[in-house]
Amino acid sequence: MPKHIVRLILLIVAVLALAAIAAPLLTVDSFYRYGHYRADSVAQIAAQEPVYQTPRYCYGCHTERRAQWSAGNHKSVTCEVCHGPARGHPQSGRLYIPTDTVKLCTQCHEAMPGRPRTQPQIEVAAHSGGQQCAICHNPHTPKISAAAAKVSGDAAAGEQSAAACAGCHGDDGNSPNDTWPSLAGQNAAYLARILAAYQSGDQTDPVMTPLAKALSDADIQNLASYYAGLSCKPTAGGKPVGDVAAGKALAKNCAACHGETGVGANPAWPILAAQKPGYLVNVLKAFKAGLRKDPMMAGVSRGLSESDIANLAAYYAAQSCPSTK
Amino acid sequence: MTKDSKPELAARRAFLVKLAGAASCAGAAVGAATLGLTPAVSAKTAPAADGGSFPTKDYDWTKHQWGFGVDATKCIGCLRCVEACKRENDVPANAHQFRTWVERYVHLEGEDQVRIDSQQDPVNIAASGSEKTFRFANRYKDAKVYKAFFVPKLCNHCTHPACVQVCPVGATYKSEDGVVLIDHDYCIGCRYCVQACPYGARYFDEERGVSDKCTWCYHRITKGLQPACVEVCPVGARIFGDQKDKESPISLFIRNNRVQVLRPESGNAPNVFYVGIDKEVN
Repeated sequence: MPKHIVRLILLIVAVLALAAIAAPLLTVDSFYRYGHYRADSVAQIAAQEPVYQTPRYCYGCHTERRAQWSAGNHKSVTCEVCHGPARGHPQSGRLYIPTDTVKLCTQCHEAMPGRPRTQPQIEVAAHSGGQQCAICHNPHTPKISAAAAKVSGDAAAGEQSAAACAGCHGDDGNSPNDTWPSLAGQNAAYLARILAAYQSGDQTDPVMTPLAKALSDADIQNLASYYAGLSCKPTAGGKPVGDVAAGKALAKNCAACHGETGVGANPAWPILAAQKPGYLVNVLKAFKAGLRKDPMMAGVSRGLSESDIANLAAYYAAQSCPSTK
Repeated sequence: MTKDSKPELAARRAFLVKLAGAASCAGAAVGAATLGLTPAVSAKTAPAADGGSFPTKDYDWTKHQWGFGVDATKCIGCLRCVEACKRENDVPANAHQFRTWVERYVHLEGEDQVRIDSQQDPVNIAASGSEKTFRFANRYKDAKVYKAFFVPKLCNHCTHPACVQVCPVGATYKSEDGVVLIDHDYCIGCRYCVQACPYGARYFDEERGVSDKCTWCYHRITKGLQPACVEVCPVGARIFGDQKDKESPISLFIRNNRVQVLRPESGNAPNVFYVGIDKEVN
């Protein structure tokens, strides 16, 4: 064989030998394990931590929300759709609470060509005049429930039954005591809802529970109508329980439901203006401690300190009564 | 003859030495590929290296074959899916890079051409108020709309993915459970795959210098969760599940509906199945 051919063959053999040595050195272990790619990268991708956690995760703490949410029309809208991803929330304690509910709700409910007919859609201007959706709708159960329906009781009959209440709530529905709430001028639908809650045991109070259990449905309607019709009196002077100005700043967070001065637009929720400050403090503490149950109030009261509560109570107590309806 | 007397010969010798070095390097690379490929074929049928399941100890990818459904008749164009996808997968917060998106198709009375926009249209970005949040502007509110509908889009995780075929470095591949994934450590940023995808499902992440696209939230589905877009869809327009499980949401969706795929003529054989779309959608 000619010399130069031998050299060529030797060169090829040398190159192949070099390749055989180089191949394992230059290729990572997991390459080619399943195909022309690095198998380890699959495990790397699978190891990323999820950001969205599913409602089941949220229920781990927020059990109170589950029944309300899962019974409502928004049961297909999971927590994280509006509140954002839950990862990191338990540690930081922070969560996105949408404040501009017009912007939030119209994302799905603005009347728009292309949306299926089955989707409930509104034109904001005609539907609400542009006011915040949460004033009338609870975003967790958006359908306006029977609780907000008109109360059609007999105020005169209510006055008869109210004799039993006058000891604590005052002859004219204005409580003589700082601890007990004034009822005069309160929303009838709210009064009826709370009395019904005492009756059913959803809300308990050593004094109110037995009293409410003795009432018929008609009694509740009559009482609610009677007290709603009385005129509210401003809280008497005396030392305010907290800083009114600080309370005013905090109260901005409550305005969507309770109105800027404690007079909200939705009859299912209480008027707070001119309410007894001691009562307001107790109620907020009860919500915070979970003794009084309301999904919305539990959430908003959780972040309030003792002084926040006192300031809020002072602010609302100092507001003037709503003008007679 | 000496080096001093014939300098041009010395130069030629030096050149040949360099050439031989370069040739053996190239040969080594070619040889490595040839030799490397041989064990790959045999390894394909072998069980996972660590004896257990792959890619995680709780998840065996040979037991699943994922599929995705889109019911365009349900989509309300709220774009929760687009925002959730961005947060879940750390997609750059801007108005031109998306792993999933939603298109709006509008036929106006008296017009032959369909009008198409998506959340990244400047009018829609103006309506959302920022490039980090998305909403469809109500731009056809007062127009005479003959027909309109929304169509969510995402990577089709094709059975014969063109993007995988063109990747020169094996940085993108089809997993055993039917998901087209990207190895960001191996991606060299050549963007062939972005060009090759007939659906425009891939984008190039300039900051990281790699291609990126939908993974069907592989890190979620391997933990028993739904992809983030499916998780947050308030109307059930997105359906996900295991095609090997005949009672899974996707199997029922395919069985109970007349489904279609986008651009079937491209030969990619997509695994995202659509209901309720027009011929203009592709």
